Amino acid sequence: MADTITQVSSSIDALMQEFYVITHNLANASTVGYKRVANAFSRALEAQGAFADTYSPGTIELNSAFDFSQGGIVETGRPLDLALHGKGFFVVEAPEGPLYTRNGMFQTNRNGQIVTSDGRIVACEAGPITVPQDVGISELTVSGDGSVSSRGTALGKLRLVDFKENENKLLAVGASCFRMPDQDVVPAAAEHIVIKQGYQESSNVKIVDELVDMVMVSRLYEANMKLLSAQKEASSSIMGVAMG
Amino acid sequence: MLRAFSTAATGMAAQQMMVDVIANNLANLNTTGFKRSQINFQDLIYVNMQEPGTEVASGITSPSGLEIGSGVRAASTIKVFTWGELQNTGRPLDIAITGDGFLQISMPDGTIRYTRDGSLQINGNGQLVTTTGYYLEPSISIPTDAASVDIGKDGGVNVTDPAGSVSVVGTLQLVRFPNPSGLSSEGDNLLAETEASGPPTTGTPGENGFGSIQTSFLEKSNVQMITELVNLITAQRAYETNSRAIKAGDDMLRTANQIA
Repeated sequence: MADTITQVSSSIDALMQEFYVITHNLANASTVGYKRVANAFSRALEAQGAFADTYSPGTIELNSAFDFSQGGIVETGRPLDLALHGKGFFVVEAPEGPLYTRNGMFQTNRNGQIVTSDGRIVACEAGPITVPQDVGISELTVSGDGSVSSRGTALGKLRLVDFKENENKLLAVGASCFRMPDQDVVPAAAEHIVIKQGYQESSNVKIVDELVDMVMVSRLYEANMKLLSAQKEASSSIMGVAMG
Repeated sequence: MLRAFSTAATGMAAQQMMVDVIANNLANLNTTGFKRSQINFQDLIYVNMQEPGTEVASGITSPSGLEIGSGVRAASTIKVFTWGELQNTGRPLDIAITGDGFLQISMPDGTIRYTRDGSLQINGNGQLVTTTGYYLEPSISIPTDAASVDIGKDGGVNVTDPAGSVSVVGTLQLVRFPNPSGLSSEGDNLLAETEASGPPTTGTPGENGFGSIQTSFLEKSNVQMITELVNLITAQRAYETNSRAIKAGDDMLRTANQIA
């Protein structure tokens, strides 16, 4: 009996965590370049439920992985809104090491360098790109491979990297950025990627899917709670018999 | 459970801010020289319960970790300086800047503001002013006996006197900024320089990448009504979804309370 209670409570913990993940995804339904956190606990639990003999929620591993699938591409017309289509990331320079992002809503800072909206410099193949004083942002052209030019003069090339099979090792640090905790993993230059100027990559959260998952989590949570209360009643009646 | 509530609340707050930005864009659909704003959201920090690649058993590492995010925040609003449509008004003192650049306006306290609203007027002292009555910088006086005023593509203000002879009384100058999105909006179609925008560079219209001056035209707002309305619907639905998450969390808490 104690066994059942342990299993039910670990299952409840996992469901709560999945619920947090879903609320976080929903909160970021409009965040440019956001990648949803996939947490398949409830689905795995439901699949197990089909074989009542092996029902054992305690054995399902709790984890969350980023779903790096492509988000929608939305036109904005702003010259420094850059959407990535394909696998890869922009590289952002930060004091603690490079960060990786797919939020391409860039700006120029007071020195004319291309920066993220947090003011961090966007890394390029050779030093940061500085937009000359006499060039307006509207005159900037960013080609599909990341080359930035104005009025036919090349200014530099944005650095795009791909982690390939190591992508799932990335850690999210907030502010639309990821970092690579594993020092040994060196990203390769991205190959299968196109930059679209004047577009944004919208969040890849699908509201309907998240809502369906949310309903499933709520129901499974309820079911587990029912099981817990049935256990409580059973144990109190046994205790009643024993104590006379 | 408290975490789910606060996460969903950040989502609702963010969507509400998006609605505020859209409302301001829509309200300025017909404001001369208005530039729409777009909001940039960022995800909040993650609580790292388990790093990816940690050893779960000897020689076996987990392929992914367990990270739980804490919602969203509005990181910034970015003013989008794409050009608005030009509208013919037939008024010789209406000017539009076709390209990059801002007009300089001197405020009563001596500070300089910047605008793309070129509906100029002549005040009682014969000076060129904005519709609100602020002077252009550098100030340009029009002689009281002028028969007509004509502003050239290069910003030269030409005055024809009653005898028919033309003289130049001044030149409009334009400025540009390294980061125009960093300018702060001051109302009255005016923008102010900030630490983020960088210092202004002055120039003559039509030179060094500055736009030229088009008279008898005004630059309309660059707000696209359909885009804004679509964004409005998206924001409204996302707001609703986040409130559903709070409701679901509440129901789960109630279930838990009924057991105890």
